Amino acid sequence: MLGSTARLAWRNLGRNRRRTALALAAIAVAQTAVLAMDGLMNGWGDSMLDTLTGPLMGHAQIHAPEWREERAPDLVIDGVGEMLDEVRALPTVQDAYARIYAPALVAREVDGHAVIVAGIDIAAERSSGGLLEGLPEAGIPTERGALVGSSLAREVGIEVGDELAVLGQGADGSMANDLVTVTGILETPIDMINRTGIVVHLALAQEIFAMPDQAHEINVRGIGGADDAAALVAALGGVDGADQLEVLPWDELAPELSQMLDITEIYGLVVLFIVFIAAAAGVANTMLMATFERRRELGMLLSLGTTPARLVRIVLTEAVVLGLLGVLIGTFLGGLLVFYQNQTGIDFTQWGDQEASVDMAIYGVNFSGAIYPYLSVSDCVPGFVGVVVVSVLAALWPAAVAARLEPVEAMRG
Amino acid sequence: MRALMAFTCAACIGLAAPTITEAQERPNLTQLTEILDDLYSSEASIARIEMTVTTPRRTRTMRMRVWTRGEDRALILIESPSRERGTATLRRDRNLWNYLPRISRTIRVPPSMMLSSWMGSDLTNDDLTQSTSYRNDFDGQVVGRAENGRGWLIRYDAHEGTVGLWRRIEYVVNEAGTLPVLARYYDRRMRLARVMRFEDVREMDGRRIPTRLVLEPRDREGHRTEMRYVEMDFDANVSESTFSLTQLERRR
Repeated sequence: MLGSTARLAWRNLGRNRRRTALALAAIAVAQTAVLAMDGLMNGWGDSMLDTLTGPLMGHAQIHAPEWREERAPDLVIDGVGEMLDEVRALPTVQDAYARIYAPALVAREVDGHAVIVAGIDIAAERSSGGLLEGLPEAGIPTERGALVGSSLAREVGIEVGDELAVLGQGADGSMANDLVTVTGILETPIDMINRTGIVVHLALAQEIFAMPDQAHEINVRGIGGADDAAALVAALGGVDGADQLEVLPWDELAPELSQMLDITEIYGLVVLFIVFIAAAAGVANTMLMATFERRRELGMLLSLGTTPARLVRIVLTEAVVLGLLGVLIGTFLGGLLVFYQNQTGIDFTQWGDQEASVDMAIYGVNFSGAIYPYLSVSDCVPGFVGVVVVSVLAALWPAAVAARLEPVEAMRG
Repeated sequence: MRALMAFTCAACIGLAAPTITEAQERPNLTQLTEILDDLYSSEASIARIEMTVTTPRRTRTMRMRVWTRGEDRALILIESPSRERGTATLRRDRNLWNYLPRISRTIRVPPSMMLSSWMGSDLTNDDLTQSTSYRNDFDGQVVGRAENGRGWLIRYDAHEGTVGLWRRIEYVVNEAGTLPVLARYYDRRMRLARVMRFEDVREMDGRRIPTRLVLEPRDREGHRTEMRYVEMDFDANVSESTFSLTQLERRR
């Protein structure tokens, strides 16, 4: 009985092939669009998260309490060398860096300029995820050397070989002043460094700012990526001395960023919803037309002894088969599209004004290069579920109409 | 009982009477403004000042020599602690330079850093280049008695359109209207930003002045800067050439 119902439903679909094809196309296009959108959002979200929790932010940070609000130079992490060793030894930690961020005045001649002197482990931060990712070995400054952010260098007229006077405040309250030699100009994805950054070796910054074995921040990257930051923070909390410090994941360090990502997600859901409505309208239209067109035939079936319940089943099966077939085709096409995009990547920097900028900047972080859309199985599921539900709902009315047909009148009409 | 009360009241009135008569003599605003404007100013002066900076985590004391000439020339030379010895700040008009003997370099403070701390204290670079003139830039008003009943409350509101950090500065002056006791600085949004106390009035080089100034910013709890005049010469002979960059760098 079920077999014959399905067969009847299938044959009915084949009757008006053009209409069925149109309905299939509508559903397939909708699912393709949903998947393309999902893929793009996955790629975009990951690229965003990667960039935002990139070198400057990391996945988690350790500071002295209140350092983030006050930025007072004397709010330091003591015994940073030992703590760093312990942090790096944690199994969930991919890498960790100690950093000093000291506001200072820098002068090439007499005019002072406000900068941030970043004292970092330059050799280590050249690796992936570090502030100086990709810096060639030859770019490592000398012991008393400094790398100057590109915009800052342009604005002040700093060139390689210049001797810069640095004036700031030491952690002990004293005047910190010293001379550094510019060994390179730095172009990073981080605007702040390009505009105001002077990067020196951690040891030199510790010396200039009177911070023996101290730093302002330990920046941590976890093995689990940005999504696992909470677990990372929990692990970091167990490090000796961490109870005196502030250990925070990236989404608490920059709540506005995680909010932005949330909003992007909600926006995606809204689009998904709209696409579903369009698909539903397609299915409903097809089923309504199919039912009303076949009044005569349905009346005949009824008069031959087919029960109204079976008629309902036939119509509903028709709708579900139509929907599923559409989604399948759509999933295939969408999958193919996203796979292609994944292989080639989408370089959206090409879309912008070529002359204005090569990169896109969001929250002071430059997005460079392409994004790579991808899909997971879970991205396809809502389409299937949604279309089946929508198909059934959309076919219920025509099915009910069919079930209530008066056989004689239907055949006459 | 009633008699006792009457007696007590009479006694109170009797005690209070002299203060009331004195209190009715409101200080003369013009005179007072002049006093506040010229309290520490002179044609040329040389002073030795001890500055103590207190933060929630430490206290530091610096000793410095200060040369001034007119309203807009000043040279501050740090004498101790030894790490900062010889460090100097030169002010000419609205410009500020720091000379750093350790690296023999002079750095001009850019406008963007004017609101930053000077030498780690609660004074800003801007404080060093400002010469507030209550006469010219503010509308003064004697409000009445000070809140605690001792002395007078004077209010200065910045003229409309005056460029400056403070929209209002309130002074509490002593009973006689001759010396400031307290100053409250309100920012552009009328929030109390800092309080300055004038303490330890003494005669120095023929003038009676508060010799200890205590500055407390309101937005940073536990921070305090105290400036104490150790020596003061109001009629010093200071030549204009004292305030030149070459002089700044030659002095070591």
